[in-house]
Amino acid sequence: MKNLVRIACLMLVFVMVCVVFVGCNQTEETDNLVIYNWADYIYDYEDDFKAYYRQMTGKNVEITYVTFDTNETMLTKITKGDSNVDVICPSEYAIQQLMEKDLLVPLNYANEAEFTKGINFVDGANYQHNYSKLDANVINKINDAFGAVTNKITGKTEAMLDYMVPYMYGTLGILYNRYAFIDAGIISVNEDGSYDATAMNQANWGVLFNDNGKGELLSDSLTNSILMKDSIRDSYAATVFYLLESGVLDELVVENTSSEYYGKPYSEIPAGVLINMVDENLIEACKVALSQQKQELFGYEVDFGKDDLLVGNAIVDLAWSGDALYAFEESWNDDLNDGEGDYELAYYVPHTTGNIWFDGWVVPKGYNPKNLDAIKLFINFMNNPYSSAANMYAIGYTSAVDPNAIMADQDALGYLAEGYAVYGYATDDDGNLLPVDKCDFANIEEFNDYFFYMVDPVDNSNWRYPFMFADEENSNFPRNINTLGVMRDFGDKNKDVVVMWNYVRSAAVSSWQLLLWTVVVVGVTIGVIALIRVIILKRRKNVIINK
Amino acid sequence: MTKKFKFKFNRRAFAYPYMIFMLLFIVTPLVIVLINAFLADDGSFTLKNFGEFFSNSGGGMTVLGNSLVIGLVTTLICLVIGYPVAYFLAKYHASNKILVLLFILPMWVNFLIRTLSTKAIFMALDVNLGMGTVLFGMVYNYLPYMILPLHTTLVSIDHSYIEAAEDLGADKFTVMTKTIFPLSLSGVASGITMTFIPAISTFAISEILSSSKIYLFGDAINMHFSKTTNSFGVGSVMSLVMLVLVVITNGIANLTSKDEEVKSVL
Repeated sequence: MKNLVRIACLMLVFVMVCVVFVGCNQTEETDNLVIYNWADYIYDYEDDFKAYYRQMTGKNVEITYVTFDTNETMLTKITKGDSNVDVICPSEYAIQQLMEKDLLVPLNYANEAEFTKGINFVDGANYQHNYSKLDANVINKINDAFGAVTNKITGKTEAMLDYMVPYMYGTLGILYNRYAFIDAGIISVNEDGSYDATAMNQANWGVLFNDNGKGELLSDSLTNSILMKDSIRDSYAATVFYLLESGVLDELVVENTSSEYYGKPYSEIPAGVLINMVDENLIEACKVALSQQKQELFGYEVDFGKDDLLVGNAIVDLAWSGDALYAFEESWNDDLNDGEGDYELAYYVPHTTGNIWFDGWVVPKGYNPKNLDAIKLFINFMNNPYSSAANMYAIGYTSAVDPNAIMADQDALGYLAEGYAVYGYATDDDGNLLPVDKCDFANIEEFNDYFFYMVDPVDNSNWRYPFMFADEENSNFPRNINTLGVMRDFGDKNKDVVVMWNYVRSAAVSSWQLLLWTVVVVGVTIGVIALIRVIILKRRKNVIINK
Repeated sequence: MTKKFKFKFNRRAFAYPYMIFMLLFIVTPLVIVLINAFLADDGSFTLKNFGEFFSNSGGGMTVLGNSLVIGLVTTLICLVIGYPVAYFLAKYHASNKILVLLFILPMWVNFLIRTLSTKAIFMALDVNLGMGTVLFGMVYNYLPYMILPLHTTLVSIDHSYIEAAEDLGADKFTVMTKTIFPLSLSGVASGITMTFIPAISTFAISEILSSSKIYLFGDAINMHFSKTTNSFGVGSVMSLVMLVLVVITNGIANLTSKDEEVKSVL
């Protein structure tokens, strides 16, 4: 017993010493910041940001970094109010929900008294928030879709950009194996080496449904090789686009009397509006299309999609542009293209219709006012050209910062050029310049053509910067940025779409067949055993009687 | 008079940390699930969640049916394969411990890794992923859970019972059906529970081995919690249904082994 007391005393002393040490640390000039972001959605920013923070304020900052993997997880956490985070990075529709529920703090410093307290960085030479370095196209597109969001608590109508600083954006499209598509005859190679994608451009979103655009099978080799994203909203958007192209929507008429399109067929509604209509008969049509699609699918994916395509298990996938770029860069194969090497995968956003989305930084009402400086500086830091370049290099998505600002910034361009092994920038482990034959790009212009002005040889479009058009007039299928719709929150209709998705996922599983077979097999087995048993017993009886 | 709780430091105290753990991480979440099942989106009391699930509008009942069928078939296959294996392991137990080890060996590898490698094998063999591959994966993963309890019971059967039966003129088939099998029923029951319950609630195996084409009850619950907002209620109802199934299965298992006395070694 004495020993026990002694141990207890020792432990108590130890704990007290610890407390004293921790206490000492806290009295130093250290600020805190809690970041709530998507997993794998930022570069290794911590040291850079801490240095920047010290330079701006003379203080240290301690960062707590928490991640989420779906907007819905994040929304649940924030709306239930059980988390203390300072800055979040949701998608546009989730930001809309948060705004409607009056859960966000306005970031537009000019209007908001509270946010101008503390250090006023707005006038500081190093401060660029809100729009000055952001891509004007992104700003316009967000304003078009979310220029007026009604706060359901206060009744006020506000612009989303007063609450959000855009971070990354991208498109929803089709990631495919280019060589498998050539084999399947979906794209063909002309004599001069250029691509003929007529069949693919007629099918468009039908590629995911193995439909050539006229209701016929596109290719046998697509069967069991299509991957669909296990994401309700994205799959819904792709299906609506497909329905539009396949002509199903020509016969479907808007029945909602309060809609401005009442009585018109759905196909006459602009694509950007259409993906935000969640009418009952539209959902029903999607249910039918998605259930049929299931026969053609390899499966639904969340995390393994890229791998399945790289390994060759599937040849098409519904994908976001950032994931697609990542997979594209991974897909370099030395054996292709007569031994010269080529990228096996490619990405394609159908030119008729598409979806563009945005993620941005917002500050929830539950933020810690003590962390205000750190919040402002963090958002600011994330939108300087250098961090933007580093982020794009690390995660593959497109930064909302103007590409011209990145190209003009020597540090940012240098970071990218070094990462992508451009001659004159890339170095080996000892810090010596790499010789030109070991570099992937011979000069910075060549790299810029790859990174900023990339033109896909098959469909003449720029995946990374969908706002940049490649030779719009000379292409057979010109991409117009207005064909890219922004998806708003489904609101009350969300539940109906979830129900539809669950129905599709659960349908067409042949378990009753399985049960039937099992019963038959069990029955036959028992029957056979019983029969053999009876025969054996009878024979034995006969033997006994004969004796 | 209230009985005063007095903390005494005796052997029982060593159980307290785990009791507290259970209270915090097993009982509390169950209570939260129960409460959530009766809450509407706005936090008011409702029974609509039950209506929504049982009316099968989102295919919830279909998924449950599919899961039960797959669980049953998996358990049956495991039993059919597992019983002879356990029997022969028990018979040659003394002479060959390596055999037993071979059957436990796969359990040392993380089951996700095992399942992913199974998928790779199927892909290499050009097998279409679907019901067949999911069943294979389930049987492969849960077979040890069937064999081990069976093996334990079969080993503990007193051999004199079998000798007695043989002396009284029973042939091998009769010994099997009338002596060994009835004596091993408690093992069969616990084997079934240990296979059936995880089999109906699994979601990783179906997700990997059918590329999410086969959508089971576990997947559906997962979907309601992590991929949607405002459907915690229905998700909780589904979790409750799952719990009821677990309780029923356990109840049936206990019925068959009721007359077995628990002999404590302590």
